Amino acid sequence: MLDLDIKYLKFKTYLNTYCPYCHQSFNVETKDKKQLVLKAVFKGQETDLILSPYLDVFEVESSIPIETNEVLDDILCPECHKSLISKEICCGECGSPVGHVIISALSRLIPFFICLKKGCEWHGLTKSDERKIKLKIPRQEMPEQDKTLRIHNHQEVPYGYTSELASLEAGRCLQCKAPKCVEGCPVDIDIPAFIKLMRENDFDGAAKKIKERNVLPAVCGRVCPQESQCEAKCILGIKDMPVAIGRLERFVADFERKMDLVKIPVIKNKTNKRIAVVGSGPGGLTVAADMALLGYSVTVFEALHELGGVLTYGIPEFRLPKSIVQFEINYLKELGVRFELNHVIGNILTVDELREHFDAVYIGVGAGLPVFMGVEGESLGNVFSSNEYLTRMNLMKAYRFPEYDTPMPKGNKVVIVGGGNVAMDCARTAIRTGSTEVTIVYRRSRHELPARLEEVHHAEEEGIKFKLLTSPVRYIGTDYNSLKAVECIKMELVEPDSSGRRRPVPIKDSNFIIECDSAIIAIGTGPNPIIFSTSPDLKRNKWGYIDANEKTMETSIPKVYAGGDIVTGSATVILAMGAGRAAANTMHKQLSKK
Amino acid sequence: MKEFGSVNDILEFAICQEQEAVEFYSDLASKMKIEAMRIVFNQFAQEEMGHKAKLLDIKEKGIYEVSSEIISDLKISDYLVKTPAANDMTYQEALVLAMNKEKSSFKLYLNLSERAPNAELKSLFLMLAQEESKHKLRFEIEYDDMVLKEN
Ligand SMILES: Cc1cc2nc3c(=O)[nH]c(=O)nc-3n(C[C@H](O)[C@H](O)[C@H](O)COP(=O)(O)OP(=O)(O)OC[C@H]3O[C@@H](n4cnc5c(N)ncnc54)[C@H](O)[C@@H]3O)c2cc1C
Ligand code: SF4
Repeated sequence: MLDLDIKYLKFKTYLNTYCPYCHQSFNVETKDKKQLVLKAVFKGQETDLILSPYLDVFEVESSIPIETNEVLDDILCPECHKSLISKEICCGECGSPVGHVIISALSRLIPFFICLKKGCEWHGLTKSDERKIKLKIPRQEMPEQDKTLRIHNHQEVPYGYTSELASLEAGRCLQCKAPKCVEGCPVDIDIPAFIKLMRENDFDGAAKKIKERNVLPAVCGRVCPQESQCEAKCILGIKDMPVAIGRLERFVADFERKMDLVKIPVIKNKTNKRIAVVGSGPGGLTVAADMALLGYSVTVFEALHELGGVLTYGIPEFRLPKSIVQFEINYLKELGVRFELNHVIGNILTVDELREHFDAVYIGVGAGLPVFMGVEGESLGNVFSSNEYLTRMNLMKAYRFPEYDTPMPKGNKVVIVGGGNVAMDCARTAIRTGSTEVTIVYRRSRHELPARLEEVHHAEEEGIKFKLLTSPVRYIGTDYNSLKAVECIKMELVEPDSSGRRRPVPIKDSNFIIECDSAIIAIGTGPNPIIFSTSPDLKRNKWGYIDANEKTMETSIPKVYAGGDIVTGSATVILAMGAGRAAANTMHKQLSKK
Repeated sequence: MKEFGSVNDILEFAICQEQEAVEFYSDLASKMKIEAMRIVFNQFAQEEMGHKAKLLDIKEKGIYEVSSEIISDLKISDYLVKTPAANDMTYQEALVLAMNKEKSSFKLYLNLSERAPNAELKSLFLMLAQEESKHKLRFEIEYDDMVLKEN
């Protein structure tokens, strides 16, 4: 059966075109012209039909006047004179008859169709043929800073796609009828729809399409683990590399920002209801944006002196420029959201006090408490938690000491314990601030590294050493209680139970020493108890995280909602945003009932 | 150390050990500040009660089996600094405590098996040691999954 769902060929490639019968080439090239030449029959007369090999201009060179919208009677091969009209297919745009030629694309011969109506300018492939070509366009790499230069600066590593690269990459998408990528996205972005808009060069429209579901696309395009979410599901990924959905998302969001296309909407239905948001991480910002757009008056209380949560104090500049986070926050300010800095809720104000003054309270305080392994010597000098290290470096700008008054936690030889994004961020910050030997120690194998693939790749390029299947067992100090080495043990993976998950077990007598002058523990975080000290009724689970309804984000206290890392434990930006949106939906539903 | 003359002696001793563990965890549960941790320790106590019931059953029926199954030892607790029990313990600390407790029971039975006067008693001690290592593994797996995520 012929697949009649024919697609318009969007990317303007030079096409080699041939007669399907005698295989004569239709391409004619002179010194200054490249053309496709066919014969056309119109009102009983024959004339030359000249097309551009990029198939962007349709012109007829003849004495016969052919008006726009008139349909040619036939087109013929100039060599064998056979009619090229297709019996099975008609124009995908206007339904007129089409001429059938073949094109040579990536060493294959593929049927290709040309509409006979002047002015329609439609040229296309059947969907299954289009697939054959699309599979062969390689996934486009993002240009990035040279690895030898970038370790001496803190600027962002990838530059992002150019519009040409973005269009090429968008052209790889198959526009599946039952797209799997959307299933992989935690906030259900209509991925094929935004990519379709990109293929029509409507980058602004594409950005707006994403924003229907995700308020921080420039952030998510940079930090989401796409390889385990949308891209893991992309159909193209079965045989080839998946569409670079994250890079496209980043491109359109940057395009919208750089071209100044972000519009501040006029909020019509203002209510006099007030919402308090505790914590300005991605979850809190999402609640603030959604509720402000719905007309509520929103106040965000942030404990620190800067906004953005982990986006600001955790993820380093070279991975997520602070100007992007700032831009999003400015947008919220323009929407009318108020921000109260240096407000530690649980301390300066309690949750109960917020409940008295606001109609609903959202708690999105993240999981900012450092977790240690509990092995000997963790309290030695120069053993840092990743939280302290990154906060000093990023938020308190230690890397710009003495310009900023924060001494830099420094070490020539640094050991980082852990294998997630946090560990990679610490390692890559250390190498940029003058450490000469940075080693990541991770208990499991490479395959289990939880960090984004791109971060691992960049870390390796930057000269970070990986000691995999290795676990620290003891930190060894000098006489002055300052760290001088880490004793480690080699691990092997065994399958201890029927779960099928392989787990690391120490190999007897395989201990060895890594000399170092500082160590950073990046094995995870826990819930900070401050907010609970004055809210004992806020129900928590055994891990100490808030017990909130998974769908509505309601907590054990009426009018109080919670989401993000303080509910799930350390997770991802997009999951925190998803929780924020769910909470905003419930709040709005409940507040509009009254 | 106590001398054991018969299978019954040993089972009596093991049942007492489990009962002590039940009381230890129940007592901790009653002291916990947050409710979820109270539930955790009550659950640990329940599990110990389950172990006790299993031993009572063996004692009554007189049947037990030493399986050849090798129980993995993830050795997580081997390198952890011991922290004392407190009323504001976190779940991480509770797991470390439980792992260490099961480990010392395992060691005790292993030790006793080495000194057992005959093959029958030796195999019974080994069975008990194996049970304890299974209990420890259950805590180790949870610790490995939830604490050592390294993310
Ligand atoms: C170094 C690092 C790198 C990461 N990399 C990635 C990545 O690449 N991709 C990814 O998807 N995720 C990554 N994550 C995880 C991600 O950043 C978090 O899952 C996400 O930020 C959680 O968002 P949140 O809104 O729950 O809270 P957070 O971002 O943690 O923000 C919470 C905010 O609440 C404030 N707060 C805390 N207590 C109080 C209080 N009592 N009163 C008032 N305010 C308070 C905090 O100061 C903070 O600003 C990373 C995390 C870290 C630490
Ligand atoms: S699964 Fe891949 S190819 Fe299909 S619509 Fe989604 S991004 Fe495009």
